[in-house]
Amino acid sequence: MVGGSVLLPGLVSQLIAEDGARSAPVDPLLPRAPHFTPKAKRVIFLYMSGGVSHVDSWDPKPKLFADAGKSISVDEFQGRKGDFKMFAKRPQWKFSPHGRCGTEVSDLFPHMAGCVDDLCVIRSMKSDHTNHYEATLGIHTGSFTFARPSIGSWLSYGLGTVNRNLPSFIVIAPKSPYAGGQVWASDFLPGAHQGTLVLPGAEPVANIKRRAATGRLQELELAAMAKLNRQHLATRVDDPLLNARIKSFETAFGMQAEMPEVFDLSKESDATLQLYGLARGSTQGFAWQCLVARRLAERGVRFVELIDVGSSDNWDAHGDMLTHTPLARNVDRPIAGLLRDLKSRGMLDDTLVVWTTEFGRTPFNNSADARGREHHHWVYSSWLAGGGTKPGTVYGESDDYGINVGKDQVHVHDLHATILHLMGLDHERLTYRHTGRDYRLTDVAGNVVKGLIV
Amino acid sequence: MTGRQNLAACFLWVMMFTLRVGAANDDVRPALEQNFSTRLQPLLQKYCLDCHSTEKHKGDLDLERLRSPTVALTQPKIWRRAIEQITEGEMPPGKKPQPTTLERETLLQGLTSLLAFTSAVHPSSGAGEGGPRLRSGKFALTAADKSYWAFQSVHLPAVPRSTKTAGPKNAIDAFVSADLKAGKLSMNPPATPRELVRRASFDLLGLPPTPEEVAAFEKNPTDAAWEQLIDRLLVSPHYGERWGRHWLDLVRYAESNGYERDGAKPNAWRYRDYVIESCNDDKPYDRFIREQLAGDEMADEQLAVVAGSKEWRDAIIATGYYRLHVWDDEPDSTVKAEFDDLDDIMVTTGTAFLGLTIGCARCHDHKFDPISQVDYYSMLSFVRTVDGYGLQHTGGGGRGTGKIQRVLATRAELEKWESEKRQRVKEAEQRLVQAADAEAQKRLEAELKKAREPMPPPDYALAIAENGPKPKATHVLARGDAFNPKAEVAPAFPAVLGLPAPTFSGRSADAGTTGRRRVLADWIASPQNPLTARVMVNRIWQKHFGVGIVPTPDDFGQTGVRPTNQPLLDYLASEFVASGWSVKRMHKLIMTSRAYRMSSHADNRRALAVDEANTLLWRQNLRRVEAEVIRDTMLAASGTLNPKRGGPSVFPTLPKEVHGTQDSSGKGWADSPAEEQNRRSVYLVVKRALKVPLLECLDFANSASPVGVRPNTTTAPQALMLLNDAFVQTQAAALATRITREGGERTEKQIERAFQLVLQRAPTEAEMRASLSLLIDQRQRAAAERAPDPSRVALNSFCRGLLNVNEMIYVD
Repeated sequence: MVGGSVLLPGLVSQLIAEDGARSAPVDPLLPRAPHFTPKAKRVIFLYMSGGVSHVDSWDPKPKLFADAGKSISVDEFQGRKGDFKMFAKRPQWKFSPHGRCGTEVSDLFPHMAGCVDDLCVIRSMKSDHTNHYEATLGIHTGSFTFARPSIGSWLSYGLGTVNRNLPSFIVIAPKSPYAGGQVWASDFLPGAHQGTLVLPGAEPVANIKRRAATGRLQELELAAMAKLNRQHLATRVDDPLLNARIKSFETAFGMQAEMPEVFDLSKESDATLQLYGLARGSTQGFAWQCLVARRLAERGVRFVELIDVGSSDNWDAHGDMLTHTPLARNVDRPIAGLLRDLKSRGMLDDTLVVWTTEFGRTPFNNSADARGREHHHWVYSSWLAGGGTKPGTVYGESDDYGINVGKDQVHVHDLHATILHLMGLDHERLTYRHTGRDYRLTDVAGNVVKGLIV
Repeated sequence: MTGRQNLAACFLWVMMFTLRVGAANDDVRPALEQNFSTRLQPLLQKYCLDCHSTEKHKGDLDLERLRSPTVALTQPKIWRRAIEQITEGEMPPGKKPQPTTLERETLLQGLTSLLAFTSAVHPSSGAGEGGPRLRSGKFALTAADKSYWAFQSVHLPAVPRSTKTAGPKNAIDAFVSADLKAGKLSMNPPATPRELVRRASFDLLGLPPTPEEVAAFEKNPTDAAWEQLIDRLLVSPHYGERWGRHWLDLVRYAESNGYERDGAKPNAWRYRDYVIESCNDDKPYDRFIREQLAGDEMADEQLAVVAGSKEWRDAIIATGYYRLHVWDDEPDSTVKAEFDDLDDIMVTTGTAFLGLTIGCARCHDHKFDPISQVDYYSMLSFVRTVDGYGLQHTGGGGRGTGKIQRVLATRAELEKWESEKRQRVKEAEQRLVQAADAEAQKRLEAELKKAREPMPPPDYALAIAENGPKPKATHVLARGDAFNPKAEVAPAFPAVLGLPAPTFSGRSADAGTTGRRRVLADWIASPQNPLTARVMVNRIWQKHFGVGIVPTPDDFGQTGVRPTNQPLLDYLASEFVASGWSVKRMHKLIMTSRAYRMSSHADNRRALAVDEANTLLWRQNLRRVEAEVIRDTMLAASGTLNPKRGGPSVFPTLPKEVHGTQDSSGKGWADSPAEEQNRRSVYLVVKRALKVPLLECLDFANSASPVGVRPNTTTAPQALMLLNDAFVQTQAAALATRITREGGERTEKQIERAFQLVLQRAPTEAEMRASLSLLIDQRQRAAAERAPDPSRVALNSFCRGLLNVNEMIYVD
């Protein structure tokens, strides 16, 4: 219906189409060419909710060990400006060099530590907000204030998907994260780009279980429906909208068949299950999430996000840093297993794995004997693996205490720009017109961090 | 002719021309060519040809070649660039002789109209090319800004004369025909009576017609019967439920605050009912605007409302408008958060009422439209004193006292209640003193407690509050930073409109509000406002044709799309105001046109080749109905729709996995009784963090920002929902029961009844065969697979399939 008109110039009809005044493009999920040759074809985004302490995990701070308990002064605390006298807090876990590359990481994640030769650790991440909600929104949408499309939706919009029997963007989360569904919302992008939520358990995807008694019965029903639809269509000139809807029922039928197959882990070998640390038959824990992620990646899903727990009982260790221990145990081996599994299947080369959290935790506290740490967005750590990133390297530095970025800051926008770049998209050209202006994932900021890329 | 007269004439001429742009009419060509030769050419010669001659052609520009007006009229690109450079003062370059101000204006005006014409005639290289033009860094209003079409007052355009013998009866057709004539096209033949009844019913009520309604009109498809049909639909209470929802989209209506906790907005549903009732009452649109923006002032100062009356209650409830925005209960900075809330109000007010993207000017001057940051904050100062939501976490100095509700009682009523209560309490106390024994004492104590409660409990409304007549100061905020205030501003309308500064009558010291919002409301609701009526009639048109005359109904600015037929838009806007802002009159006017009644079938190959996008409106558009209409249509077809109106929202039963996505599972969600769950979709709760999945997946409004055009997506998850969601199963089963009841014993009769209920027509022979064979196959297969009650399985499957066919949810 759009384009090709001599009366509506191309761009205008495009504007209309994108603003939704006219019918949207026929099939928003058709594969689209990237801007340039991509290094990665898909993303697995591992998101640790609540704020993982950087100084206890990926960012060794000897000075923090040395000066533990000493008072230091900081000019902002918990979002409030001022002059605060604080006490340096000793990291809870010991650091040591690992792998051939010798990257120093702590004992918190012993299995992941064994994978450092595949990781590109970023020690200079920077966020814009000290609250969970805003920072979570920021790391997912690039916006720290208002709901905007999620990075998975942007990638789906930019690249479409190759497997039409599965959604392009899937989120596996046992519980709702901060900011809820906004984390995977397509917002103003067409609804097809919205993340499909998978809940670990017996029925992981809504409405996937057919109501018709059997597949054959449903086929009969769909065939009859298609017959009526085609007769209806025949009296209207080949209308793309009507056609798309006929197609959508075919895809849905395919999804009913393929989705349960994705979640059926019975054919996975014992060795594989062991690699992830997953008990046979279990749908619990991060191990299940990781293994399903690999299966989705194999089947061409563009963006898979795994959320570790949700907005409660998470990494938000105000009270006691030792609450990181069971959480680490839940994710450590599964993530290492995922990396090894991808690598052994030759998939790590074109699968970008991102590990991140919304912010770090304060290297200091307002009392010397506090056992937890507070929110800290001035600097924190993340890592990338595969998909054209530099393995066995460390990028950026925080300062002596891990309070601020010391060198080579990677802002959330920069991380987003880099992820898009690895997927073959220029973050400045991936735009969508909405309410009169072009929107980007990176708003008006973001630089591709070349130092992270091979 | 003096220079000034010359300029004035030029202005007038440009304005006349602008009105005609939509028609791309060749009538103006001679005048334009003459203007080019006599006025522009000499100036180009004098100031430009020195460098941009055929010989020198500096910057690859040869203006000599364009001496012929015929050639000049084919070069929009060159003129656009020229206008840009002259406006910016880049051309002529500083060292060269400069044109006088007057000459510069003449040149710019002439070139602008030239450009408008060339863009319309040569659209492939037209206005859209390269996107809208970025404004220069330093804000200055240009003549082109002031003469922008949408900022000119609305004048009733002359109705084009028809060459046809009888001539169209409805002026709309004259305007549409004039455009079509330019493209050498003509209107499609009328739609079939059945298509028309469906179209009217879905458009006005959001529900399918009954088979009987269709049959009646098919028997007597006269103009008179058509008018009666429209009249009947317009008085149906379902009308407000349909059109009220359109308005709720614009004001991003929701009953919760969003963000992590997504707390409830108490009594928000009263605003929803107010909107529905206002539509049903055909409340004049100007009054509807005034009530929402300043209803409290109307009520408290008894402006056209009597205290305690329904109008009085309505006026207060309407101000719930100011409370609908998302609200962060735990912001980083309360000062910044206060301005975020105000900005949300500004964005919505600009978009919903004015079709302007005013919000773009919060942090910087608007990049495309002539709206400066000063304009933004001057507008903001009208609403600056609104007492905001309070805070859980106090401190930081921002935001308000949290008085977001108002009791719906007059002062006199409150005093009466108070004195009654005092009396009640006094009596109860006396009785208690005389209590005979412990048991009596206990009973009387309970009585006393009850006496202290308000009786009857008064109604509350989500409503606005201000704290007295003294306005808070408003400053321009550098880069939108609340901590970086610059110059103080006074309330004013955007400067580009050239209006006098608003005046405020003195406020008494005990007034509850500043009175500023009332002035804003009066300005927006004024017939002189160039945008208000145009924006609204465009929205009405859009809902009848699928696309507005301005295809971007929320953006009448530079980043929007120009009207495809401005005379038509202005005609409708004039009629709208003249009718006393009656929306229902507009429906009737539009729906009685031939244009509305055209067939949507795109059989005309020639028309498809010339105007595939149907910009000229040679046919009606085929439209998918909205999420709510799909759900309501299923309820109507299955016969289970509960027509109950108004009241607190309905909470449908959702799968527990869905609740799992909420922060704390199931919080604030108590399932409504079963019969309530079958009410119309407009009454389902709108919770920002947990939308009803069936509606959300079918492109329900995002409820965070104004939505004038919902997206229209077709996805596999939608199909999954429609195949497997519990609601759809229930409706399919109910439909199966209904057709066995109403269709009788014979399967053919049942199938026929189902087609009538769902599609309002009999099945064709081929469809009957397909349906029968589905039922037989299903029955056999189900029996073979030992499914219980194979006949029922088959019938349910047939009904589910029918409820999902394209024809049900596409309006021809």
